[in-house]
Amino acid sequence: MKTQPETIDTDVVIIGSGAGGAVTAATLARAGRSVTILEEGPSVDPDALEPFSLPEMVAKYRHGGSCAALGRPAIAYAEGRCVGGSTEINSGLYHRLPEELAAEWERDYQIEEFGTASLDRYAERIEQELGVSRLPGAPPASSAVLERGATKLGWRSVEFARVFRYEPNGRAVKQTMARTMLPSAVAAGARIIADCRVSRLVRRGTRIVGVSCEQTLPDGSTRLLLVRAGHVFVCGGATQTPALLQRSGIRRNIGGGLKMHPTVKIAARFDTPIDHGDVPMHRVTEFAPELTIGGSASRRGHIALALADSDADYTDALANWENVAVYYAAIRSEGSGRVIALPGFRSPLVTYQLSESDMSRLARALVHLGEVLLAAGATELYPSVTGGVVARGSDDLVQWWDALTRNRANLMTVHLTSTVRIGENRARTGADSFGRVWGFDNLRVNDASLLPEAPGVNPQGPIMAVVARNSDQFLADT
Amino acid sequence: MLWFERQVVGTLMHPDLDAAARSAVESYVSTTLHSMPEHLRAGVAAESIVLGASSWLENRAGRLDAQRLRTRVARWKTSKVDPIRQYVRLLESLVLFAENELVTEDA
Repeated sequence: MKTQPETIDTDVVIIGSGAGGAVTAATLARAGRSVTILEEGPSVDPDALEPFSLPEMVAKYRHGGSCAALGRPAIAYAEGRCVGGSTEINSGLYHRLPEELAAEWERDYQIEEFGTASLDRYAERIEQELGVSRLPGAPPASSAVLERGATKLGWRSVEFARVFRYEPNGRAVKQTMARTMLPSAVAAGARIIADCRVSRLVRRGTRIVGVSCEQTLPDGSTRLLLVRAGHVFVCGGATQTPALLQRSGIRRNIGGGLKMHPTVKIAARFDTPIDHGDVPMHRVTEFAPELTIGGSASRRGHIALALADSDADYTDALANWENVAVYYAAIRSEGSGRVIALPGFRSPLVTYQLSESDMSRLARALVHLGEVLLAAGATELYPSVTGGVVARGSDDLVQWWDALTRNRANLMTVHLTSTVRIGENRARTGADSFGRVWGFDNLRVNDASLLPEAPGVNPQGPIMAVVARNSDQFLADT
Repeated sequence: MLWFERQVVGTLMHPDLDAAARSAVESYVSTTLHSMPEHLRAGVAAESIVLGASSWLENRAGRLDAQRLRTRVARWKTSKVDPIRQYVRLLESLVLFAENELVTEDA
């Protein structure tokens, strides 16, 4: 006999609790709507685990961090799977959407009310609520490296703001969704159900009448739930949102057009110790937004991985790991990918094809990254290219131009977007200007999927501004 | 974790690790492989079966040579066939991360 699901009734159900879902939930709950948030991952105390550590990867990352977009080459990616989503695991760097991109997207995708004037209003609101700040003092050595290298080369660099608050004792606290928007939503009456995977949306004509899901209970048992709601927001991020829509039979312009910032890395060795407790806040913006240079998490494990990528002998460098840190160069890519829900599989297939131009840009990015690190005083550079020569001077960098090929490049990314693009141009978009999925009265997407292209900067700020805008529009419409 | 994956992981581990550390690293790799997306796990498993066939036969015949396996894995690491290179890279990255985070923390 088939088990009958337990039923929950709510005005609004929000699937996903990251930057998209949490802002939507807080906005709607504070406006008096009855809100239920369904999160596939667990609820983890934000203070319980060391950032970027192995226990954090196991607890908060989707698939323990082992995801990849298939293509030539495959591109490893990471995303959060916990209450608060990727905001719990990212570096917290914050940007507004560049003005020229907002204008370009507004024009190309025919997005209504998408100008900077509109988005900045929401960005300001988010910044005030979360607390977006710069370092109160001098930057750590790992960050100063980028500033120093850029200055020597005459390149622009800037310390980016982060969604951090500084406590009186100087402790920096990242303002993740689990610390900010979600408690605010709960205080306004919202309910969060963690460990709850949505299998599909229940359709009736042009309406979604419910959400079918399975919750894993603390003892490991499961219960089936049917959440009946007047309105449904899908906020699972750029891979899970299109996969859920496809599983529910909604496929028009859903899942195609995946965008990301493909990234090359270098493990850089210096003569003096480098701090490893934080992600550098400085970025070299000389070539932005097409190419951005920054620093990565550099725990001992990350350093070992980065050193091994070049396939050179790294024994001595790893023994001296306190003097090594990992840096990256990310590009805006011309290529694109797809998210495809596979029948019978829980995880979607993710693919990404880099263009020839992307490969050239990545080679250029690697060389520029090498230049800035050498200028900053690095003595050895291990590129994320199999067989790539360890560079000890600028003459060595020349060899990297030809070394970075599809068969040798080891790439990764953390920014995935654009699988349900917004706009009134129905040929290119999956949802209208405010995220309502075409063909449905009460189904909306409100997350990274909506951005028409990769923004060339950390996308959390642009996502939150667009999501806040769409949430306000929803309240005005319903 | 499949038999051949266990052999490769053993080959990739630092030779100085003690039994407890080797077990902890192996356990982490096994858990992570298990939690991979199903289609990626299926691909890795298929590669393990294909790449490990000769080693499995050698083992059945009692002639599995650890040094020869090490040489093979080192060659695959720089293979021009992307899936083969990525296969070793995946297992090596899991081993390295665990060795440098898990084992170091415990120590």
